[in-house]
Amino acid sequence: MRDMIFASQSENYEKLSQELRRGILVLATLSQLDEKKYGYALISQLSAQGLDVEQGTLYPLLRRLEEQGMLDSSWDVSGSRPRRYYAINADGRSVREALKEDWQALVVSMEKLLSHDKR
Amino acid sequence: MELIERYLQEIGRRLPSRQRTDILSELRSSLVDDLEARSAGQPRQSDVVALLKEMGPPEQVAASFHPEGQYLIGPGLYPLFRMVLGIVLTAVVGAQLLAVLIAVALRDQPASFLDSFWGIANSLPAAFGFVVLVFALLQRLEIKPEASDEIFDPLALPSLAEDEPVKVGEQAFSVIIGVVVLVLLSKFAYGGGFSIRYGEGIFTNPVIDRLFFWIALSMALGILVDIVLLWRRRWQPGTRLLKIGANLFSLSVLALLIQGHSAWLASAGAGGLFESLARLPENLAAGTQLVGMAAFRLAFVVAFVAEAIETLVQVYRLFRSMVRPGSDLPVFVWRS
Repeated sequence: MRDMIFASQSENYEKLSQELRRGILVLATLSQLDEKKYGYALISQLSAQGLDVEQGTLYPLLRRLEEQGMLDSSWDVSGSRPRRYYAINADGRSVREALKEDWQALVVSMEKLLSHDKR
Repeated sequence: MELIERYLQEIGRRLPSRQRTDILSELRSSLVDDLEARSAGQPRQSDVVALLKEMGPPEQVAASFHPEGQYLIGPGLYPLFRMVLGIVLTAVVGAQLLAVLIAVALRDQPASFLDSFWGIANSLPAAFGFVVLVFALLQRLEIKPEASDEIFDPLALPSLAEDEPVKVGEQAFSVIIGVVVLVLLSKFAYGGGFSIRYGEGIFTNPVIDRLFFWIALSMALGILVDIVLLWRRRWQPGTRLLKIGANLFSLSVLALLIQGHSAWLASAGAGGLFESLARLPENLAAGTQLVGMAAFRLAFVVAFVAEAIETLVQVYRLFRSMVRPGSDLPVFVWRS
């Protein structure tokens, strides 16, 4: 599919694709933090599910979610190197549930919009 | 590993000091995790280079920790900033031009004219800087214009007539007349001074000669503004400011011309404006020079009054377009 994009549009496509992924990243992150995790472990976990996230994108996002009161964080210095662990809290869970419903409604709408059976 | 520290140092330089240590510790830990995962515990220089390339330039990484962007005046305050800046700059220029006008009316000192305009030009950056400083402070204190509590009513939107179109024919005529007069004036200037041959005598006007540069400059400015208006086709705050500026300049030059003629006539014993009109028949017999100078002064007084009225109308329209009817200026509130 990507080969079909005109060379002149490849840069625009990259930006649009990035915006699309950025939008879903919050929900993806919140979905994986029922158990506390440090940043790199979260990146690996998301990547294993097919969602590649750059470190430069994830860490600022984790901090923002924490500032907004959806995540709690703590440093663990017991291992080979200090690691900052993040976990979702009660506020985060309620936001996640609402976002999940939005996402499911969006998927249904988009499926209809993108289906070839045009009315 | 030294490369990672150099990289982190560059990121750290661009981070707020309050969060620097925390963010760098987290990034360091993550980079080392990644490096170990991709090199099976034996990282080479090339692995580190590849990892840092993937991560992106330090300034880009540091900027991602400021998602709201880094600026002095944010998009929320910017429209108000522009409006206040326009008002302040108009007031600064207007007040100083008025001061020049008064100084000119009190005493004829054309030598200080250039100094006055240089002074005005110099005061603009300071005024600009002051407004920026105030708004940067408001931004820093997170004070924002209060969002209107009123329910948006599309029918209350200002009518299109408020953005008045420029009358093209009028402006084009004005440009043509301006150019013709400027060319004629230049011919006089290069032909040895302003003089009109009549019959056997020659009428000369030393005041126009002396002020030729300022007259030409003011007319050229007027033509330039008319051309800008023709190009923009619409009256906007910017074009109005430009027009007001050109008019104020032209008023200053007219004031100098009137003052110069009065001084000349006084030294020739012709008296004031009304006195010279009353003594017209007498003066006609005395000499054409005297009558000519009095006629020029009268013409300049008429031009001054007309220009002053037009300028006042422009100032009124400018403020009317800036402050919409029925709405107050924004009120500041502390963001909770």
